[in-house]
Formats: sequence, structure tokens, C-alpha cells
Amino acid sequence: MAFLVRRLLLAVPVIFLVTILVFSLMHMLPGDPATVILGQEAPPEAVAALREQLGLNDPIVMQYLHWLGGVLHGDLGHSLVDNSPVSDLIAQRLPVTVELTIGTFLIALIIAIPAGIISATRQGKFSDYVASILAMSGMSIPSFWFAMMLIVLFAVKLGWFPASGYTPFFENPAANITAMILPMFATALREAAVLMRMLRSSLLEVMSADYIRTAYSKGQRERVVVLRHAFKNALVPVVTTSGLMVAGLLGGLVITESIFSIPGFGKLIVDSIYQRDFVTVQGAVLVSALLVVVINLAVDLTYSLIDPRIKVGKGAEG
Amino acid sequence: MKKPLQLSFTFLLAGALIASAGCSSSNSADTSKSDAKPATNAVKQGGTVNISLDADPPKLDPSFSTALVDRMVFQSIYDKLVDLDDKGNIVPMLADKWDVSPDQKSYTFHLHPGVKFTDGTDFNADAVKFNIERYMDKASTRRNELQAVDKVSVVDPSTVKIDLKQPFAPFLSVLTDRAGMMVSPAAVKQYGDDFLNHPVGTGPFVLKDRVKGSTLTLEKNPNYWKEGLPHLDKVVYKIINDSNQALNNLKSGQVDITNVFPTKEIPNFANDPKISVVNQAGQGFQGMHLNASKAPFDNAALRSAVDLMIDRDAIVKVVLNGAGTAGHSPFAPTQFAFGDTDKFERPNVDKAKELLKQGGKPDGFSFTLKIGTTPTNQQLGQMIQNMLKPAGITVNLEKVEFGTLIDQAKNGNYEAVQLGWSGRPDPDQNLYDWDVTDGTQNYSRYSNKDVDTLLQSARVEGDNNKRKELYDKAMQILNTENPYLYLYHSNNVFGLSKEVQGFVYVPDGLIRTATLSK
Repeated sequence: MAFLVRRLLLAVPVIFLVTILVFSLMHMLPGDPATVILGQEAPPEAVAALREQLGLNDPIVMQYLHWLGGVLHGDLGHSLVDNSPVSDLIAQRLPVTVELTIGTFLIALIIAIPAGIISATRQGKFSDYVASILAMSGMSIPSFWFAMMLIVLFAVKLGWFPASGYTPFFENPAANITAMILPMFATALREAAVLMRMLRSSLLEVMSADYIRTAYSKGQRERVVVLRHAFKNALVPVVTTSGLMVAGLLGGLVITESIFSIPGFGKLIVDSIYQRDFVTVQGAVLVSALLVVVINLAVDLTYSLIDPRIKVGKGAEG
Repeated sequence: MKKPLQLSFTFLLAGALIASAGCSSSNSADTSKSDAKPATNAVKQGGTVNISLDADPPKLDPSFSTALVDRMVFQSIYDKLVDLDDKGNIVPMLADKWDVSPDQKSYTFHLHPGVKFTDGTDFNADAVKFNIERYMDKASTRRNELQAVDKVSVVDPSTVKIDLKQPFAPFLSVLTDRAGMMVSPAAVKQYGDDFLNHPVGTGPFVLKDRVKGSTLTLEKNPNYWKEGLPHLDKVVYKIINDSNQALNNLKSGQVDITNVFPTKEIPNFANDPKISVVNQAGQGFQGMHLNASKAPFDNAALRSAVDLMIDRDAIVKVVLNGAGTAGHSPFAPTQFAFGDTDKFERPNVDKAKELLKQGGKPDGFSFTLKIGTTPTNQQLGQMIQNMLKPAGITVNLEKVEFGTLIDQAKNGNYEAVQLGWSGRPDPDQNLYDWDVTDGTQNYSRYSNKDVDTLLQSARVEGDNNKRKELYDKAMQILNTENPYLYLYHSNNVFGLSKEVQGFVYVPDGLIRTATLSK
């Protein structure tokens, strides 16, 4: 418990720094928000009036403190574009990306774990080569291209799945899932390849350890040795990678979201940057930073479940 | 950026539009927009049409809207005092008829009786007054369009009079678009700043549900004032940023109409059994501003030298795949001001070198051309770069994200910038603000008293023949001085499922949904 509290407290300055960084970067972007919002034909008076209304004429420190004050009261502000509360926008978009991330991650695991195990235990054999070639392809094929190919085959030619679009899960679960399968697969291929390579090398290392030889010499079958003894110990680096992967996916699915027209969190941030809707960007990045902190914490807690020798709160934290 | 987000503001970068090859608008059921027309038995009732848009409409309030995609959705939600027909003529909509005073300074509109907003309140002269005054407010992006308006008076519940400070020829044209859209005063009072998330008009459809960044679902207005319309139960706008992906959706049936069609694909759909392509002249133009306030383009001879080296036909062929028309004026072929001033010379190196000599740069010069980030922008930039080389003019291309591009253009922080305009029905709306001294889109910072006088006279003149003479004179000066280099007139290109009936192409390129059926 003390560990948890300490970790969370440590996160506070990190998040604080992130907010300052994002705030300053957004304000350094060329392109005045008022001009961008009002567009090509706006007369200068209208731009000036909007700048005043948005508080853009205040000193930047004042603008930051004003925003921070709102955040501390749980108010992330209102979108400069359509006046929606930023918290609503995040609440709409984040679950979409969370679903996409979880689905992508599960599919990646379902592919990576068997492939990784087969490849490690049949090292140098035909099935290892097949798995390795698939993994190399998965890492080298750009996911947007793979996504397009999936669309052409499964949506346009075969008509099994919609080419794009999104239906909220609670509105129509079946439509939601059919629309999400292609984007999940398109992204999962690459992630699966990374995880599979990671698991393979980690397993190979563990398999050469003394205790594995001992297990074999006691006459245990390979299946038991691999699954019961080796696999669990090989998981630590895989879990670390998975944590980074999930954190990365939450904010980094924007290409998949764009191709499949999915109203996700990554797309919200990118769209808002182009619209100079910096209030939304700040709110979204803040939430994103929080998520990364939470996921890292979860990863650390997972280590001790996998390997009791790792004690969270001791050693590593020091 | 695409668009991502891109904000497709009311104009499009070169990428967005184009085209003109064999187009076929899909089918029948046309004309019904000018007036109520009973549905014939032949027209299927009910059903849903899905329309893809290339960006999420940022502001569903005509008073604050700046984006082209907003206007697309407005056609379903709001009606206007007057509309455009398929030829681009101004026809009645919420105003059955109107009288113009002999001095052209007073317009009296006779409103269609018995029209209600979709919140149940009455549409009447008070509502018109409310709306026009709201658009004249300092905060409204419509203010510039209505600057000629002096006052709005309610004559009786179905008659409203608008007095102008001076005659303003484009006035009715302005009212065919956002400045003429009638929103519910009661809803504006109820929702205040949040009205744009609760839009209420008198239109054929009502916004029911919106998933930001994904879909807008509109349902039929069961009490729509035009008898027999709309035919559909639902219109769903789907946000699909990429035009190829929109086409995939059209092929697989998730989308029935796409608002942007990839021009490279046009020839592949000439005989497609399921999909037709509408490829028609729009009202917009593309070109580049040259900054006349600083070197090198404060020198008209150098501007003209650049102009003379550009092969417009090649641009239309390569960049637009033929879906557009090379030109040298801001006037669309459908506008009365269109004519000889649109003609241009073929590239001529000798003459260009002569101009360079006149401009004091006999060995050529170099400049930076700022362009947007779409592949089309880039292709256009590279073509211009290559076309200028033979005259010794070196072009440095600088790709700039769209929001920044506008900002830099407005602030004069550029030498040359490629920016176009989606176009409006009246010639004034395609020219005045670009070339009049201190005009809102005069990014070239050009100033010429004769041009100012001619453009001013053209907007107060009521007779179109006389106006054309004034525009001809202004364009003769502008085509010599070249503060803005016109390159081509964009087409509007839509992809359309053959199951959709009743599509009417209107030159403003906005899809009227009331007459659609499927």
C-alpha cells in the first residue's frame, strides 16, 4: 500500500511537467488559434474579438495557471471548436480506443504466445523458420498498408466486414464487433510480431538455464517443462514490452483510427492539434499521461505475480 | 494533416475538388427544390441514405461556421430564404417571392406561410429579423457578408423588409448560403453558446444523434413544409477522411454518396453497374497569391513572368486528371462575369525572359512557394517548380500545415502561397475581398485605386451586363498585374450509388437531401 501511495505521489511532478510541456508546445505552434478557427475569410476584427474571448491576449503564465486552476477543480475546460466540455469528448473517445487497444492486444497475444513457444522449442526447425518469417513480415509491413489490403479483401471483395465506421458497443454489440475486427487485426499483426520475437528469445534464454535441465533430467515431459517452468520465467520481459505497447497504443492508434474512421482518442488529439483546439489537446494529453503512469504501475505489480523474487517497493524502487 | 483534420475551411486546398470528364448525374427526380412538389407514386418513401464527408463538421451553427463540410450538413437541417437551382439561378425557398425597390436598397421578402421550426415554434418575419441581426453581430463569421445591411423591419408576420446602406448586387446570392439560413430563435435563446450542439432549423431533417468524429444521424422532419418531402426516413453522414477509403465504403455499400471522389478513379467508373460519378463544374478556383508587399513580387513584371511560364492545361491534366478547367479568372463558367478574361497565354520563355529583364532580374530569381501537405498540393507545387525552371526562376517548395498556412498568408509571412476558394454564386463573392485594398482575403496585399473603384461600382450596380463590363475592366488590370495567379476552376466530384434517386447537382457543390430517395 505504501508502495502504491509513493508511486502515485512520484507521478504528480511527472504529470505536472507534462502539462507545462504540452501547454508551452501548443502555444509555440505556428498558427494563431483564432485565425485557424475562423478560417480564410474572417476579417481582422473578428479574429481580434475571438482572441480576446479565448483569453489569448493574457500572459501565457496566466493562461496556464487559469487552466491548471480549472483542472484542479476537475474542470478540463471547453473545446474551442464546438464548446463541448473536454471531459465529455474524452469520455466519448477514450472507451473506443480502450476497446481497440484491448482487442488488438488480445489478438496479438493469441498469435504471439503459441508462435513464440513453438519457435523457441523447435529452434532451427521448419516451424521456427515459418514463425520467424511471419514475424519479420509482421514487423516490416506498414500497418496502414496491411489495413488497406484487409479492407480491399474482406470489406470490398468479400463483404464480410464494413470497410470502416464505428457503432458504440452498447448500441449494437454485433455491429460494434464486426466493425472493430479489421482494425484490431490490422494493428495486432505488428504487435504480435514484436511480442513473439521477445518471447522467443526470452524463452530460449530460460530454456538453457540449469533448473530446466534439472527438470528434464527428472524425466518431466517437454510440455510440462516449457509451460510450467520456463514460460512463466520467460514472461518478465514480455510483460514489460506489453505494458509499453498498451500505453503506446492508447495514444498511438491514430493511423488505424483514421483509416477505419474510428472516433478514437488518438484521432481526437491529432484532430484537435490541427484545429488548434489546445484546450482539448491539453486535457487529452493530461489524461494520456495519467494512463501511462497507471499502466506502468500495473506492470510493476504484475512482475511480483509472475516472479515472487521481484518485490515491488524494495530494490527496484530503492 | 489531412486532413486530418484538417480543417477543410470553406475553401479547399487544391486537393479537394475537381474534375470534368464525362459525368453523369444519376437520375431523375430533379427539380423539386424550387418549390413544394407532391411526391409521385414512383418515388420510393422511407429508407436511409449514407453520405460520407471528408471531415467532421466543426460548427453546426451558420453564424459561426467556417467549414465547407458544415454547409453540407446544413442543407439537411436548415432552409434558406432563397436557394440555388441546378443552373445556379436564385429561386424561392422560405421566401416565396421578394420585391426590390427601384433604388436597389430595399428588399421585401414574402415568407412561405405556416412554416414551423422543428422545435414547434413558428417561422415568421420576427425569426428572419432575429437571424439576420444575429449574423450581423460582431462575433458572427457572417458579418462581412451582410455588411451592406442597414436594418431589418418586420412589416407583418409573413413580410420582412431588409434595408441596405447602399445597393449590394450580391445580396440575394449571399442569402442562398449560411447568411440566409434560418435557425430557431427559441433554440438559440435556450441553448446559447451550445446551440451548435443542438441545431434547430426548418429543414427536411432533424439531428438525432452524433458521435463526434464518426457519424451524424438525422431523421425525417415529419412536418416538413414542402409537401411530399423528404422521401427518406434517415440521412446518416459518415466522417471518412480519406477519399480512397470513402470509395471503398461506396463499393461495399456502407456509403451511398461520397462528397469527395478520387479523380484518378473517374475513368474506372465510366460503365460501372453500381456506381456513377457526378463530375461537374463548381464555383471555385485554385491559384496562388504572390506577396505584392515585398521582394521579389512587389515587382509586377516578375509576377507576370511567373504567370507566363505556367502551363495550366498540363496541371489540369496531371493534377486533376481532367476534372477541372484551366483558367485565368475567379469566375466559374456558370457565372455571368465569365468570359474572355478567363483566357490565358501558352507558356512562353522568350516573353517571360523579356519580363524578367524589365523587372531587373534578367538572369532569373528564386522564391519560396508555400503549399499545403496533401499529395495533390505537393504535385501541383512540383509541377510549378519545373515549369518555371526554363526561365531561370527557382522555386523552393515549403510544405506547411494548413492552419499555419492560413495564418502566414494572412500575416503576409510568405512570398508565394497556394490557396484556393470553394467559390460562391455571385462574381463579387469570388473577387472583391481578394483584390480590393485591405480586403479580407487580399493576402497578396495588393492595392490599386482603379481596381478598388471598379469592384466597388460592380457591387452596387444592379444590371448584370453593366457589371460584367466592370469586371472585364478590373480583370484586364488584374491579369496584367497578377497579384493572384489563377490556375484552374475546380470541379465538384461525387461518387453515387445507382440505388440513389433524386440527386440534383447544384453548382455550389452542396448535396440537397430532401429530394433523395433509395
